[in-house]
Amino acid sequence: MSDKVKSGAVQAEIELIKDGFEAGGYVANTHIATAVFLAKALDKPILVEGPPGVGKTELAKATASYLGRELIRLQCYEGLDEAKALYEWKYGKQLLYTQVLKDKLADLMAGTNGIDEAMERLHTFDDTFFSPEFLEPRPLLKALQVPDGGVLLVDEVDKSDQEFEAFLLEILSDFQVSIPEIGTIKADVKPVVFLTSNNTREVGDALKRRCLHLYISFPDQKLEMRIIEKRVPGVPASLRSQLVTFVQELRTKTIKKLPAVSETIDWARALLLLHTDELDETLVRNTLNLLLKFEDDIESVENEIPGMVRRAREGG
Amino acid sequence: MSKMMTSFVEALRAADVQVSPAETLDAMEAADLVGFGDRTLLKDTLALSLAKTPEEKAFFDETFDRFFSFETMENSTSDDDAAESQQSQANDGEQGDDADNSDGDASDSDGEESDAAGSGGPPSGSGQGGADPEEQAGEEAAQSSQSLMEMLQSSDRNALSMAIARAGEEVGIRNIRFFTQRGLYGRRIMERIGLQELIDAIVAAEREEGVGGPRVEELKGVRERLRRDVDDYVERNLALYAQNEGKRLREEVLESVRLTNVEMRDFKMMQSLVRKMAKKLVSLHSRRRKKARRGHLDVRRTIRHNVAYDGMMFDTHWKRRKVDRPEVMAICDVSGSVSTVARFLLMFLYSLGEVLPKVRSFAFSGHLGEVTDLFETMDIEQAIPQILHEFGGGSTDYGVSLMDFADVALKDIDNRTTVILLGDGRSNYTDPRADIMKQIYAQARRVIILNPEPEGLWGTGDSEMLKLKPFSHKAQMCGSLKDLERVVDDILRTAA
Repeated sequence: MSDKVKSGAVQAEIELIKDGFEAGGYVANTHIATAVFLAKALDKPILVEGPPGVGKTELAKATASYLGRELIRLQCYEGLDEAKALYEWKYGKQLLYTQVLKDKLADLMAGTNGIDEAMERLHTFDDTFFSPEFLEPRPLLKALQVPDGGVLLVDEVDKSDQEFEAFLLEILSDFQVSIPEIGTIKADVKPVVFLTSNNTREVGDALKRRCLHLYISFPDQKLEMRIIEKRVPGVPASLRSQLVTFVQELRTKTIKKLPAVSETIDWARALLLLHTDELDETLVRNTLNLLLKFEDDIESVENEIPGMVRRAREGG
Repeated sequence: MSKMMTSFVEALRAADVQVSPAETLDAMEAADLVGFGDRTLLKDTLALSLAKTPEEKAFFDETFDRFFSFETMENSTSDDDAAESQQSQANDGEQGDDADNSDGDASDSDGEESDAAGSGGPPSGSGQGGADPEEQAGEEAAQSSQSLMEMLQSSDRNALSMAIARAGEEVGIRNIRFFTQRGLYGRRIMERIGLQELIDAIVAAEREEGVGGPRVEELKGVRERLRRDVDDYVERNLALYAQNEGKRLREEVLESVRLTNVEMRDFKMMQSLVRKMAKKLVSLHSRRRKKARRGHLDVRRTIRHNVAYDGMMFDTHWKRRKVDRPEVMAICDVSGSVSTVARFLLMFLYSLGEVLPKVRSFAFSGHLGEVTDLFETMDIEQAIPQILHEFGGGSTDYGVSLMDFADVALKDIDNRTTVILLGDGRSNYTDPRADIMKQIYAQARRVIILNPEPEGLWGTGDSEMLKLKPFSHKAQMCGSLKDLERVVDDILRTAA
């Protein structure tokens, strides 16, 4: 197949993903769609980075609904260990099982002479104690067991410990885990894996190396308007462009926490609730706490609000 | 194609993007999947698999545009589409000519597809040579030298730039590192491409028409144009493969030069260097060590492991306790006597604060104040002058400053805190209040004094180092960035 044709086919597929996402309410640019395409085609996990609120987690959800697969989510935090991420024995049931076994033991062992024979008889039974019935799968194992492949979201991997990260490596490169008592469990259909990070800690090089790296930054005006259009459909076009212009300018200021897409959406919803048709100063002042989450930030932009509102109205 | 990929990776590395061999393989696999037909798609694909931090993405964009402005976009390894690729090379080349001059700068790099696609590369010799270089090289060289005159005469720029690229590949243009090598490589390429033939022609023409004849002038003009083309080519390659080389050299020098001797104009570079260092140290040490088998019984795990023994709890399991990252309090002298160094020390503190979660910073000369907030809210360019203005310049008084420190922070010092005192210990003959130092010493996990003066000068004149020193776990000279790095490395290692 010639290169031109190949690229064309791939492009069509990427467009398809984009449209699929958009139908599900997630507006993606080509870059993001390409990443998802590659992740699926190459069976590679994607490490998604970017400021909070740009839709990293949302991307995984959108992918799951687009592919019609189950989304399995693992939220990372300090002290997360194998027992909570991978599997756990149902020890309550195991205890019960031993009780039952004890009761039945006499029946089972009826007719045996001496301890040797009893042991021999015992060995003929399957070792059910450590068997899949007593296995409690946690998110990682679950993701491998989903019959037609799932979407695994390992959220905020930077919050987990270094050890856990190392442990993830095995699963992410081979899509298999070994459970000493049972054996190796391998995924039939490899899940699409998303890892997200907010960069509270630099994610290890080894992990980065095994992943595709997608950086999602704040969307530009055009994309953000389309996102608002998709997510808050009731907002009139003029107000939409005004509020997006306002937020875009707000992002150029030096403040502690820049408003993200999720904040823009919240704000748009609030404005819709208040039956606004146009931005004005008092309104912005009263609703600014939806966009800025620090008192310092609000104070620092307070004086510039009139100018920004004016520019937004002119622009929109 | 694989050769092209490796030279692209090499170019990326020159631009400070860390690429491992495994990533190169991934990138090849990905590129194979999407093909080379679409520039934006290829760029996105490679960016996903090669550049893994936001900074690297920026470098990547720049390098990609520069690199593929004169590398082939076509995969010419397979025979059946060789003809087609030839064709499209020629097409690309035509469009590429005008984009040629502009694509060196990064400004037009992001996403302007029309321009980007246009600059898909005239001199595509290297990619083609990549098919089987040994076999073709000789043949091609012969070919090119044969046709040089023709190419020049017919002003076939595509063929010419292809020939230049081929010659460049042959003389190893990829190894160019310094701008002083431009002349050398330019000459080698000219020779390789068949300059001699041109000179011969000029000489012959002169013999026929005499000096200054029309044919002679024309040929000289041709030679000039050829030289310009070659120079352009070398220039672009230099930008591609050597852009960071000079910088790297400077950085190495700056690292070991004494802080007092760093010049004003190097501050900017120093700053990024300091930052890099702080980041490196922290990522090295952010690993938390586990202390096993101490503390509480982990009931859940113990039960689980003991079901098999009929619930007899004899195989005990313990909760593992993690040791937190160190809390650091840094006190920085910004008085006149250390004014040259203070800037760097503050810079380092600032960077450390950015990467370590719990750093409290204090600055003093005559009196002391906490500057943690300043660091957190302001840019480094604003914060440092502000601090120097507010606290700096005056004559040092360790006694008063330490008293201030005790008021503000002594109650917060506990056995997890590391206190770093950065200063020369010169207190203008006032009482340094070593007793406060002692109290700090008693409460803190570690106290470290870093002094920009060499140890021989400690205790001379108004230096109170000898009085302060006993109340530190470590007192060290710290004159250059290298020293600073080593010391902080040490702090983090033992405090963790």
